[in-house]
Amino acid sequence: MSAHDGGSVLEVGRALPPLERTIDLVSMVAYSGATWDWHRMHYDRDFVAAKGFDAPVVDGQVFGALMVEVLQDGLGPRARVRTLNFRFRSMVYADETVRVTATRVAGDDSGGASGPLVFDLVVDVVRTPRRNHAANERVAVAGTGTVEIVEVAEVADAHGAPS
Amino acid sequence: MPWDLDAIQALVGREVVHRAPEPFGRAAFRYFAEAIGDDNPIYTDPDAARAAGYVDVVAPPTLLMETNQYVASRGRDDAGYKGHQWDLPVTGCRLIRGGNAYEFHAPLYPGDVVTATWRITSADEKQGRDGRAMLLVGSEARFTRADGTLLAVDRETLIYQELSA
Repeated sequence: MSAHDGGSVLEVGRALPPLERTIDLVSMVAYSGATWDWHRMHYDRDFVAAKGFDAPVVDGQVFGALMVEVLQDGLGPRARVRTLNFRFRSMVYADETVRVTATRVAGDDSGGASGPLVFDLVVDVVRTPRRNHAANERVAVAGTGTVEIVEVAEVADAHGAPS
Repeated sequence: MPWDLDAIQALVGREVVHRAPEPFGRAAFRYFAEAIGDDNPIYTDPDAARAAGYVDVVAPPTLLMETNQYVASRGRDDAGYKGHQWDLPVTGCRLIRGGNAYEFHAPLYPGDVVTATWRITSADEKQGRDGRAMLLVGSEARFTRADGTLLAVDRETLIYQELSA
């Protein structure tokens, strides 16, 4: 099978199953640890209050990871994410709930029929625990991603023996 | 202006190299996957990964770009941070990330030793809608493993926002 077959899995204009995640302080601490990013902005409530923020700020790179998860879970084990391109629109704070949506859009056809699948990616904040928060529902991140659906046997050969 | 644009633009082309002091281990993949809540078995189960066409468990793709894990040990700053930064001659600014553009070229496997090579690619200033000046710094990282194979590229825009107009 070629990447062309991915098109029959999902038509242009259709969305993959969205992912919803509440990002609490525990998962933010875990992400800070996993990425060696110990900046207090991501977990220290006194520090962020002194800087004028409502709550600890979620590391933006988390959303790249969630975009990958939506694409891989929605397209299956032969999906390979080739590119992710995203811009930050607004910050996300501890305990807010985000929804990550991937909608297939037409590619530029430069890759021909077997070119990668192209997706619009949006991270929306859909719930916030603080009633006084200025901007509740809002777009946090927007971008695009490209995914190739690979032939599995070819991939195993292409990478040789494990290191 | 809290910066000298000529001085900043003179830094375009400046490069910094962070080489991991040890190979990636499986625990790092599992830890990252658990931290982001992604239960995809290709990160932890070699059989599931092979069935999906990989030769072993693979890293969650964006783990590779987390440059802090490659930075040689140094002291923490007041904010607790000890990772990759440019230390540009800018004061009285808030630093925010504008966005990222990732290219994934090859998967990251256990045992790979990664080198991150960051380069400043552009520097421009513009006026924000609120009248405050902004300095936009473009940078690019190439992530390679020990045999020179390019694993991924990350292009990042940093925005230094003037604190007061």
